[in-house]
Amino acid sequence: MKYILMMAGTKAGVDVYRAWPNKDVQAHFAFLNGLNKELRESGELVATQPLAGPDEAKVVRAGKDGAPITDGVFPEAKEFLLGYWIVDVESPERAYEIAARLSAGPGPGGVPTNMPIEVRQIMTGRTQEMDIEGSGAKMERSKQK
Amino acid sequence: MKYILMMTGTKADFDWYAKWPKKDLEAQFAFMHDFNKDLKDSGRLVAAEGLAFPDQAKIVRAGKDGEPITDGVFPESKEFLAGYWIVDVESAEEAYRIAARASAAPHPPRRGQLGTQENQPIEVRQVMSGPPEELLR
Repeated sequence: MKYILMMAGTKAGVDVYRAWPNKDVQAHFAFLNGLNKELRESGELVATQPLAGPDEAKVVRAGKDGAPITDGVFPEAKEFLLGYWIVDVESPERAYEIAARLSAGPGPGGVPTNMPIEVRQIMTGRTQEMDIEGSGAKMERSKQK
Repeated sequence: MKYILMMTGTKADFDWYAKWPKKDLEAQFAFMHDFNKDLKDSGRLVAAEGLAFPDQAKIVRAGKDGEPITDGVFPESKEFLAGYWIVDVESAEEAYRIAARASAAPHPPRRGQLGTQENQPIEVRQVMSGPPEELLR
């Protein structure tokens, strides 16, 4: 079963993170590198990807002619995806365990960040079997690999 | 350059989506199939994933002993990731053009707004291959 573990934050949260002392940032990355290595060696890591910061985010909509209309203004409360991990695990509990490890990553002074990590199953690859009779879309939008 | 194109929605949006008539769902699936095939055939598709619905979402935090504490209660306004594409393109503008195509996917009129055809917003951001430079100074 594949699960996605998402780390998200507001612009204000990202600003706090960017003000971390250098050594704390390095300790956090050392922690993440160690965890990634462990997950890779256990065969559970499918993908992990950090995203550019919220100041580079754009929302795109198609205009009447289909041309992109971009907007870079967001509400203060908006949560931006900062990065994610996709893991292939035996159970949701194992995905939660890994998420808790991420949440316990060191923050300033080595104190765990206790960051919330959103966990959800990946549906891609199961969508072809989806039953769209009657009850509507129970599964996710169809995206074929 | 790699960009991520994210489709998000609130629980209300997902509830609306779950009630789409079958023919609208089929039209959307056909659109997504062609869209993905185009991206794949042109060598620009790196990855695409669809996520489970928000009612299966959990927020996990580490407890004092490092054990996972899960919570499934979210504010109404929370935007959930529905799915994403990662594309490998020459410029941000190319990523925006691809996002506009995804934005123009067919859908029935928005709830309670018959006749209006507000397109789906797609959030676009570059994906980094390593930690951001500024964090490694």
